[in-house]
Amino acid sequence: MNTFKKISVGTIWLWFCIFAIIPIIIMAITSVLTPDTNSLVSFKFTLSNYTQILNNTYLKILLQSFYLAGSCTLICLILSYPFAFIIARSQSKYKSLLLLLVIIPFWTSSLIRTYAIMAILKAKGIINVILLAMGIIHHPLQLLYSYSAVLIGCVYDFLPFMILPLYANIEKLNPEYIEAAQDLGANKFTTFVKIIIPLTMPGIIAGSVLVFLPAMTMFYIPVLLGGAKNILLGNLIENQFLTSNNWPAGAAISVFLTMIMCAMVFIYWRSSKNKNGKFENE
Amino acid sequence: MNRIAKHIYPSFIYLFFYLPITVVIVLSFNQAERSLIWKGFTFDWYTDLFNDFDLLNVALHSLEIGLLAATVATILGTIASVSLFRYKFFGKKILNGLIFALIVLPEIVMGISLLLLYTIIKLPLGFWTLLLAHITLCVPFVTVTIYSRIVTVNKDIFEAARDLGATDFSIFIKIIIPLLFPALLAGWLLSFTLSLDDVITSYFVTGPNFEILPLKIYSMVKLGVKPEINALCTILLGVTLLLITMAQLALRKKQ
Amino acid sequence: MRFFIFLFSFCIGISTSVYAEKNVLNIYAWSGYIPDTVIKQFTKETGIQVNLSEYDSNETMYAKLKASSAGYDIIIPSSYFIERMTKQNMLQKLDKNELPNFKNLNPVLLHKPYDSENNFSIPYLWGTTGIVVNSKYFKEGEITKWQDFWNPKFKNQLMMLSDIRDVFGMTLLTLGYSPNDTKPEHIKEAYLKLKELLPNIKIFNSDAEQTIYIDEDAIIGMGYNGDIHLTQQENPDVKFIYPKEGFTIWIDCLAVIKNAPHLQNSYKFINFILRPDVGKEISEEIGYATPNLAAIKLLPKEEQNDKTINPDAETLKHGELQVDVGQALPMLSKYWEKLKIGE
Repeated sequence: MNTFKKISVGTIWLWFCIFAIIPIIIMAITSVLTPDTNSLVSFKFTLSNYTQILNNTYLKILLQSFYLAGSCTLICLILSYPFAFIIARSQSKYKSLLLLLVIIPFWTSSLIRTYAIMAILKAKGIINVILLAMGIIHHPLQLLYSYSAVLIGCVYDFLPFMILPLYANIEKLNPEYIEAAQDLGANKFTTFVKIIIPLTMPGIIAGSVLVFLPAMTMFYIPVLLGGAKNILLGNLIENQFLTSNNWPAGAAISVFLTMIMCAMVFIYWRSSKNKNGKFENE
Repeated sequence: MNRIAKHIYPSFIYLFFYLPITVVIVLSFNQAERSLIWKGFTFDWYTDLFNDFDLLNVALHSLEIGLLAATVATILGTIASVSLFRYKFFGKKILNGLIFALIVLPEIVMGISLLLLYTIIKLPLGFWTLLLAHITLCVPFVTVTIYSRIVTVNKDIFEAARDLGATDFSIFIKIIIPLLFPALLAGWLLSFTLSLDDVITSYFVTGPNFEILPLKIYSMVKLGVKPEINALCTILLGVTLLLITMAQLALRKKQ
Repeated sequence: MRFFIFLFSFCIGISTSVYAEKNVLNIYAWSGYIPDTVIKQFTKETGIQVNLSEYDSNETMYAKLKASSAGYDIIIPSSYFIERMTKQNMLQKLDKNELPNFKNLNPVLLHKPYDSENNFSIPYLWGTTGIVVNSKYFKEGEITKWQDFWNPKFKNQLMMLSDIRDVFGMTLLTLGYSPNDTKPEHIKEAYLKLKELLPNIKIFNSDAEQTIYIDEDAIIGMGYNGDIHLTQQENPDVKFIYPKEGFTIWIDCLAVIKNAPHLQNSYKFINFILRPDVGKEISEEIGYATPNLAAIKLLPKEEQNDKTINPDAETLKHGELQVDVGQALPMLSKYWEKLKIGE
């Protein structure tokens, strides 16, 4: 009956098989081999790459990355939601233009923009120059090479990834629901918490996923803006692949990370399903 | 009060976005080669840029890959999210998990494993390997974006359309796509952005005769940010703004 | 719709046309390590089209080449990678008869342990890692040793290179060991000593250390002599100091990948680089010292006598060539991770 269904599902499966499943299998296999100085891996099965992960250092690094990615996601959410809300529900005929204006800065290289942020925060950067000239401070502020600089850089980089899914979702919000709630006597706050947020939850989840997951493995922002004084998961994995030439360890950490993330999302999905049988999201 | 907030808050966010961009533009006229502090006005970097055909060629490559990858990824992502929403099929849960796995997977892992895959099937590195890698990178992002919108659609619409005799294909084209249009646009924009900016995966899968812009920029900043790069970014910015304005005007004329 | 079909075929057209090029050379080099002018001159004189791809570290280059030969011909690894890559059969043995300009090279830099016959590598540029200070804030002779970094008054001020070998190497020197030392007890000692240095470190960076010193984001730290030499053009207060305990020397060399697709063109390129006029241009543009004796004679007198890139023999005695420490790398890596996480 359904040729369209067959073709769509078939195409998707074909694509993912070749370009997603096979590479993942390659990585999974690499993660259980032993590293070898001459040929990168020797085909000896071992689980030591995984048991190594359970040592103190790696777990600390995992936690630090978690904390950074989590803070970044939360800040992005708080900043993006009002923005997406206002733009999505505005009556302006320039709506899509406003959205595009958000994205356009991100078509310049993110690396260059990070350097621009450095130029703003440096000891002789714009902020310090202005504040010194106005006499508000007498010594330059050390804004760069700090944890807050890293956070600013992250938020800046990931903001569109939160705004776009939120926008796509809020745009669909039926104003009649809001009117109905207000007719029934709810104030603005209750309307927001009990109606608007649950209805836009899929967008919130999508945005959080698109920010949190990549943020766990980013590495050049902490290097450039944080002075590389901290080590995050991204740096750790890069280290294993490049400096230690320990591809199996790098693969194992990546697989481990992927499994944890998927488990987290799965747990969330199950719990939200239990709350409301019909509630559908990832 | 509310109306003021509605205008002020977005303006703050735009300011946040565009401040570093302004810095990039300003620095492209800076007379210093390696310093990030203002030392004087000059057009030198722009003239350097116009004589650097290599850099322009590289930028063109990136645009090519970006446009193609975004379009194909959006198509695939749409099909994927629609299938996940509407149909029950073998391995549905696995596919779901796979999409997440792809977003989590560190780019260096993706890059190296794709490189190993290409080596095994003896595919020469270059345009095609890069394009396929970028599409693979972008599809999960598009899928997640579009899925979040499609879950709010009432399945009864499809039932009604089926009862009226429509095939799945025409339901897809005539109902689903128009319904999802903002999400499709968002997904396309996201993919284009991802592709234009991707360094790590691209580093591993591209070949000697197909250099792309983010890699070029990445290696150029190793020497300190040459203002030539700022000039390039400024021009890119200008060109995209121009294209978008033209597109908007064209759309308006149609209406 | 039609637009997309056009776009698609246009792209295929472009991609295939490049494959049609036969007279090419694929070079894989450090970012910005070969001046544009040199490449353009080579193409002009020989008609060979050069495709230049760049990497940001020996490690990334090695990782990519290990996974696939990727179609490159020439690479520019550092000396300690030549040894490893030769052992792993990744480099092409060079026929010196194809390189008549080989005679221009400084014999002092040849026949080193990592490639005793120079069968696999041709020195391109060489340099040293040392101390960098901003003379506006330090009197001459105030900072002379690596050990000076550990002075508590430098809290949150140091700029360290982001390279494990460089940082551990200099610490090993302060302990009286060789920077190439692989003994686990010595490395552990170095790790403990580095832990004490952590509060003084402001930045770890190997990329744009020039900008950091020029803009005075750091006024004391480590640096590569060639980079600092160039920095002085924009900020003459930045000075390079050869530490008393010793320092590392490294030689970046041209090498050809095994079974490179364009071997003849590779020889032509290497021979071209070994010309005195080309060597002079490279040295001036990139800032590092050239191993080409004939080229040195062509440099202006101030360049020839510049102590930063051409230290005298007395100073050079304290330098040690950086070699591969293969087996110690995982251990060094683990300590590095521990340092960064604050353990």
